[in-house]
Amino acid sequence: MAVFQAALLNELEKLYKKKKVLVAILLSLAVIVIGQLVIVGVRSGFGLRGTGSVEFPMLVLSVVVNTILPLFTALVAIDSFSGEFNQNSMRITLTRPVSRFKIYTAKITAIVLFILGALLLLLVFSLLAGFIFNTNSATLDSLGRTVFSYFVSLLPLTVLALAIALLANIFKSGIAVFFVSVLAFLALKVLGVLFSQYSSLFLTTQLDWYNLFLVNSFPILKILRQFLIMLGSGIMLFTAGFYIFDKKEF
Amino acid sequence: MEKVIEIMNLTKSYGNGRGIYDLNLDIYKGDIFGFLGPNGAGKTTAMKIMTGLIRPEQGDVRILGHSVTEEYEKALAKVGCLIEIAESYHYLSAFDNLRQLARYYPGVDHKRIDEVLELTGMLKFKHEKTKKFSLGMKQRLGLAAAVLSRPQVVILDEPLNGLDVEGMIDIRKMIQHLAEKEQTTFLISSHLIHDVELTCNRIGVIYNGKILNVENTQTILKNYATLENYFVSEVERNGRVSSSAS
Repeated sequence: MAVFQAALLNELEKLYKKKKVLVAILLSLAVIVIGQLVIVGVRSGFGLRGTGSVEFPMLVLSVVVNTILPLFTALVAIDSFSGEFNQNSMRITLTRPVSRFKIYTAKITAIVLFILGALLLLLVFSLLAGFIFNTNSATLDSLGRTVFSYFVSLLPLTVLALAIALLANIFKSGIAVFFVSVLAFLALKVLGVLFSQYSSLFLTTQLDWYNLFLVNSFPILKILRQFLIMLGSGIMLFTAGFYIFDKKEF
Repeated sequence: MEKVIEIMNLTKSYGNGRGIYDLNLDIYKGDIFGFLGPNGAGKTTAMKIMTGLIRPEQGDVRILGHSVTEEYEKALAKVGCLIEIAESYHYLSAFDNLRQLARYYPGVDHKRIDEVLELTGMLKFKHEKTKKFSLGMKQRLGLAAAVLSRPQVVILDEPLNGLDVEGMIDIRKMIQHLAEKEQTTFLISSHLIHDVELTCNRIGVIYNGKILNVENTQTILKNYATLENYFVSEVERNGRVSSSAS
């Protein structure tokens, strides 16, 4: 366990020391500021209410979960794998007394923690912006649901990270991984619309699964089904990604 | 004598026909073993297998009694290595680079990091990011990383690449000091034949993926004027007619 902790700490330090985290924070804040400005503009220009204080974070989540969060996930995952493959810096870790399984798991864990950090940051700042600028419509129940929605969004984003990690282990170039990821993302979005009866199987649809928790009837079976689909695909993607990583020659 | 590295029937072939074939070699405690061979002879392949960067098709390597293919963490626990070019994270300082590695070894603290930076003459660049390091500086940092954990076995692939004369002498002294005082075993590959002669006490000649001969440096120098003569004669004896032999 100490070896895994060391590997994880190293991955987190590498993430932190690169400027990508700073860019992620600034972009997250920009989304909130721009979103808030749009709402204030709509309110004063058209006399519409826009959103209430707790609705604003949900609006932010609905936008970021399909845009900047998958983008951050892709950038960090590609950098963590393809970046180190191309610069040969993967050798630095591989020639230490740590198994490839621990290295792979530490890398994935660091990416998941990064996504969690981004979600928390967005939650805190959008809540603050919502309370400061919008009419107060908060109830404890709606606040709880908002927080919960942010946390459950971690699961589909983790599956996305595992999918990108798999691609990063298949393709040599980071740019190729990025383009394939973007194309696959868009293709799944389109397929989700064209074949809406199968859309629950697609990762892009699962990104919006937090909506299931907002329905008053609470569709427990649907939630369970979605959870199991994500869990299953997550396990398969992890296994496939690790298999290729383990066989790689450096 | 205690066997530190046992290479047993090691085979790994590449599509281009190069690789290593049925390699067998024992390295003993306190040895400074020189792995001598031309480019593409299989030195790096063997060292990459020893350090887990590639897997053998057949055979195994045991380091301090542990199999590299089956007990990787145990096998590498007391090993330091530098394979080909010394890599570092260019966005981290020299110190941070070593601190990343130190986390894998209990007992390696900041004081030890300073010690190895001093040993390799890199202490004054401690807080500089490695992005702007010259090849020689990167190599020195790589050597600092290799000895950071006070390893019992050090595997060095072309450790003198990019070093100036002063650097070569420093590193040679460091290797001899560690072998003598701490009984560290070294496996060093190099095509710099003169430096192998000065540094190593046992020599193995590898050619076309096969070990041709293993001999003590002293014995070799009794029979041949230089290590180069020995190397050429070994290679010729095994079927290669060299035009540069004379």
